[in-house]
Amino acid sequence: MHSEKPILTAKTALWAYEGEEHDFISTRTFGFWLYLLSDALIFAGLFASYAVMDNPMSAFGHPLADGLLSASRGLEQTFIVLGSVFAVSIGSLGLKSGNKGLVLGGLAVGGLLGALFIWFGVSDMLAMAAAGNGPLESGYLSCLYTLLITHALHMGFGLLWILAMFIHIARWGLDAMNTARLLCLRMFWQFQASVWVIVYVYVYLFGGAH
Amino acid sequence: MGTHHYDPTQHPEVRQGTALRYVLATVISAGAMVAAYYVAMSKPPLVTLLEELAGTLLVALLAQAALYFGLDISRAQIWKSVSLVLTLPLFIISIGITVWAFSSLYGRTMPDPAIMSSMAM
Repeated sequence: MHSEKPILTAKTALWAYEGEEHDFISTRTFGFWLYLLSDALIFAGLFASYAVMDNPMSAFGHPLADGLLSASRGLEQTFIVLGSVFAVSIGSLGLKSGNKGLVLGGLAVGGLLGALFIWFGVSDMLAMAAAGNGPLESGYLSCLYTLLITHALHMGFGLLWILAMFIHIARWGLDAMNTARLLCLRMFWQFQASVWVIVYVYVYLFGGAH
Repeated sequence: MGTHHYDPTQHPEVRQGTALRYVLATVISAGAMVAAYYVAMSKPPLVTLLEELAGTLLVALLAQAALYFGLDISRAQIWKSVSLVLTLPLFIISIGITVWAFSSLYGRTMPDPAIMSSMAM
């Protein structure tokens, strides 16, 4: 094909003078995803330690999961954490249309359910400690508390993040930076549900039934 | 920090989520956990318990990976999917080898709890 104008002229740029910019949002969400995968490996270490200690010798005369944890109460916590993740996920749909109210509403409901989940967990741990099964009583109990507290701490930091997002959104709205933050927060919150279902099945159900 | 001159509402990770996906992920995860609860309450033999609980857990985690996280092989998500596939073996092997090594060690070195309790009487 012939072109009317010459391809190369004195003003033709043979290279880009500025570096090509990476996708602003994707670089943040992918970096955060890699953090979540490394976090999963921390939980793998905790699960492995728990599995090693899950025997009567390491319990040192104290009960194992079947005598400490209630599977039905754990199921209630499962519903609460799934409800919380569902609320935050639905709220994030407000990013599509710039609906700030939907985003904030989802975060508020998700945060309240997250707080309820933590309260369930903390009250269970306090009841176990009050019954003489505190974290210092045996290797098994140390591993159990470490696993449960690590997950609860993640939820707690997620709540702080949700509170911080209220301030960010109120001040800057749903700009690109806050969109990236909200996408990372959504992934973080969804990750807590994934970790919790493993905790529930492995500790509450498998540990409680054998 | 780079400038962000594009419309964030058009980003593929923003467009990806739908209410249906999140409803399905939540219902499947909750249903799998209810099924796991009833399996555990029926107190089946250990191997059956392990298989059925692992099955329900796998269903819940797959639903969450595909529907909550939206992992697929699209251009926007491919590297998340690849990195997850590369990390999963580490996750499983680190738990599996530890459990296998210590259960083998316990069998050779630890006293049988039943014998210990009979000696204490």
